[in-house]
Amino acid sequence: MTWVTWRQYRYQGALTAALTAVLAVVLLITGLHAAWAWHSALAACTKDGSCASLPDSNLSLSNTTIAALVVATSAVPLLPGLFWGAPMVAGELETGTNQFAWTQSITRRHWLAVRTGWLLLAAAVLAGAVSALATWWSGPDNALTADAFKANRFDITHIVPVGYAIFAMALGICAGALLRRTLPALAVTLAGFAALRVLTSQWLRLHFMTPVTVYYKLTAPFTPNGSYLAVSQGIVGANGKPLTAGPNSYGYNGAPIPAGCMRFTGSPNPGAVVPCLSAHGYRGYVTYQPASRFWAFQGIETGIFVVLAAVLLGVTFWVLKRRDA
Amino acid sequence: MIRFRVDGRSGAPPYQQIVQQVRQALRMGVLAIGDQLPSVREAVAVTAVNPNTVLKAYRDLEREGLVEARAGLGTFVRARPPGPPPGTHSRLGRGLAAWVREARAAGLDDEAIESLLRVTLQAAAEEDIA
Amino acid sequence: MTEEGHRMTAVIETSGLTKQYRRVTALSDCTISVPEGRISALVGPNGAGKTTLLRLLAVLAAPTAGRATVLGGPPRQDPAYLAEIGFLAQEIPLYRRLTARDHIGIGAHLNPRWDGESVRERLGGLKIPLDRPVGTLSGGQRAQVALALTLAKRPRLLLLDEPLAALDPLARRNFLAALAEAAAGGDLTIVLSSHLIADIERVCDHLILLAASRVQLCGDTETLLAEHRVLTGPRKDTTAIARTHAIVREDTTARQTTLLVKLNGPVIDPAWAVEEANLEEIVLGYMSQDDAGHGAGPADARLSAIGGDR
Repeated sequence: MTWVTWRQYRYQGALTAALTAVLAVVLLITGLHAAWAWHSALAACTKDGSCASLPDSNLSLSNTTIAALVVATSAVPLLPGLFWGAPMVAGELETGTNQFAWTQSITRRHWLAVRTGWLLLAAAVLAGAVSALATWWSGPDNALTADAFKANRFDITHIVPVGYAIFAMALGICAGALLRRTLPALAVTLAGFAALRVLTSQWLRLHFMTPVTVYYKLTAPFTPNGSYLAVSQGIVGANGKPLTAGPNSYGYNGAPIPAGCMRFTGSPNPGAVVPCLSAHGYRGYVTYQPASRFWAFQGIETGIFVVLAAVLLGVTFWVLKRRDA
Repeated sequence: MIRFRVDGRSGAPPYQQIVQQVRQALRMGVLAIGDQLPSVREAVAVTAVNPNTVLKAYRDLEREGLVEARAGLGTFVRARPPGPPPGTHSRLGRGLAAWVREARAAGLDDEAIESLLRVTLQAAAEEDIA
Repeated sequence: MTEEGHRMTAVIETSGLTKQYRRVTALSDCTISVPEGRISALVGPNGAGKTTLLRLLAVLAAPTAGRATVLGGPPRQDPAYLAEIGFLAQEIPLYRRLTARDHIGIGAHLNPRWDGESVRERLGGLKIPLDRPVGTLSGGQRAQVALALTLAKRPRLLLLDEPLAALDPLARRNFLAALAEAAAGGDLTIVLSSHLIADIERVCDHLILLAASRVQLCGDTETLLAEHRVLTGPRKDTTAIARTHAIVREDTTARQTTLLVKLNGPVIDPAWAVEEANLEEIVLGYMSQDDAGHGAGPADARLSAIGGDR
């Protein structure tokens, strides 16, 4: 059955390898260039002591380029599930070739198990390789901007892409088996993957563990160390409740300015109002996931996606055995 | 080796056609004593009939004493059906061919010829009884 | 009735086999028996349940009621059973981008008994290229490839769903010849379906007739031919005949009555001209029964027509 799987997927395999090679080359080139630019800038600023004022963005690539590369790399875990997973069962059901495959001397389970195994492995290896490359590529950027925990970096580096890829493959195969037609399965895989990714990165991930909240004096602003994940931040009033902009707000971080401090608002120095606010009991707060939890979160998120994948595959095996071919 | 022809549309069932073809081949000398008949597999590959049809035909021929099955080797011709030797058949066949040419030239089509033959055979049979 | 070479152990035996979908009954109360070594014609109009029956036997679908015993056990999704059967679906489902040689490789890897050499020989004899994607071959060539692959499994039972449907007359002839040759060994039982009996009657010695998802006839063709006659006579009352024999179909014109009957003894009344019925007439007679509503119902025909082993 392994031989059979390889025989059937050799064209897809070749095509994928080619496309991945293209992406890899692009990442390599831009990454090398960014690393070179960063090392030069670091050398230069060390000489004249201006490192504290290094710009906050990648030195050699435009924001558009970075955004495009991030999107391309984010798409990689989805693609095997979309183009190999969805048609795996659905394609056979549509063309009727399952009537050939499932009347050879092999159980449907064996057929499914071997194919799924190899496709999962291929998806994981692909995602892992691209992820390794992306991790290396975002090195300089993270050194400058401490972005590693942020969504557009967390999602494309280290181990979560492997989890995504395994999930996408399982979703594709399951959708194909349940819906029995390739196009609807493709649509469901795409929508399902996108929905879960958005849900996880925009909301679920923020709460994998109870976030840490730090209150600080407005006169001594606090930024968490290293690459942290911001959950929320703002101003609390004397009663400890977060303040949001109101009708009399002069917009100091969105909190309304009390009457007693209004006289400072005309000052040309915007920071002049701060000591007064502090005196009124205003404090800043930031709720975040500390950088030390980065790997734990990578593990948890990967685990979630892999467990979901296992559930989907379980459903697929059950359906394939029970349903009419 | 004889090559069978089974006509699905003729009135006779396939096995009978095979029996008749073997008998005719024997009469005409196309098959001689000791010749081997096609194996069931060969016959069936050519005619696309059920193997049991061929088996049945061969068994009928065996019952008539015309062929014998030798285990493991095949089916072989044992005797000719009673009647004049092949030479006579060929001679009469040639004579008939000449007559058919004459009939066709005179304007008779196949149906008319068959009809004439049937009527003549019937009349001859009645003559024999009388 | 038995004859040398006509074995009576049943390779397929079903009882009340039913397949019900949500709104449609594809097969209803199907009880048949196919003895070993037969080439059985499964005939009936489109939608009669032929494909459903074949798929149930090939364990591609599961029945909603009833039992089937195939090669000594129920059809089951296990390699031992699957190795004994060969199934060819109507659309000749091969992997279009793969070559015949690829398919031979697939078969070799997925089957314990595999005779790849026979495929190469057979296709070579038919001058069908082994290294072109099968999607580029003609319908007839694809059918031959699929048949060769199915036979290479060395199955004991071959199930073919309308294999002749997309073939031209020459391709049909070649296909039937190949089937007959495969059956010549005697270890193979074949069931092939068609909606035209005329196409396959020369190669078949057993018949199953399905109409309106029910079995109308099941038995050796020899028996069926021996049991049925066409009676023609001047238009008259048929009660006398109906008392002894089973009238399958009755046609009357102003002057003449034609009956297809299942005999129950000799026909004594000299007013009737008795002729042998051919298979097509018998099949058509039973197929039109529901419409005419005449004569013996399917139940009677089934009980006395099943093989001879009851």
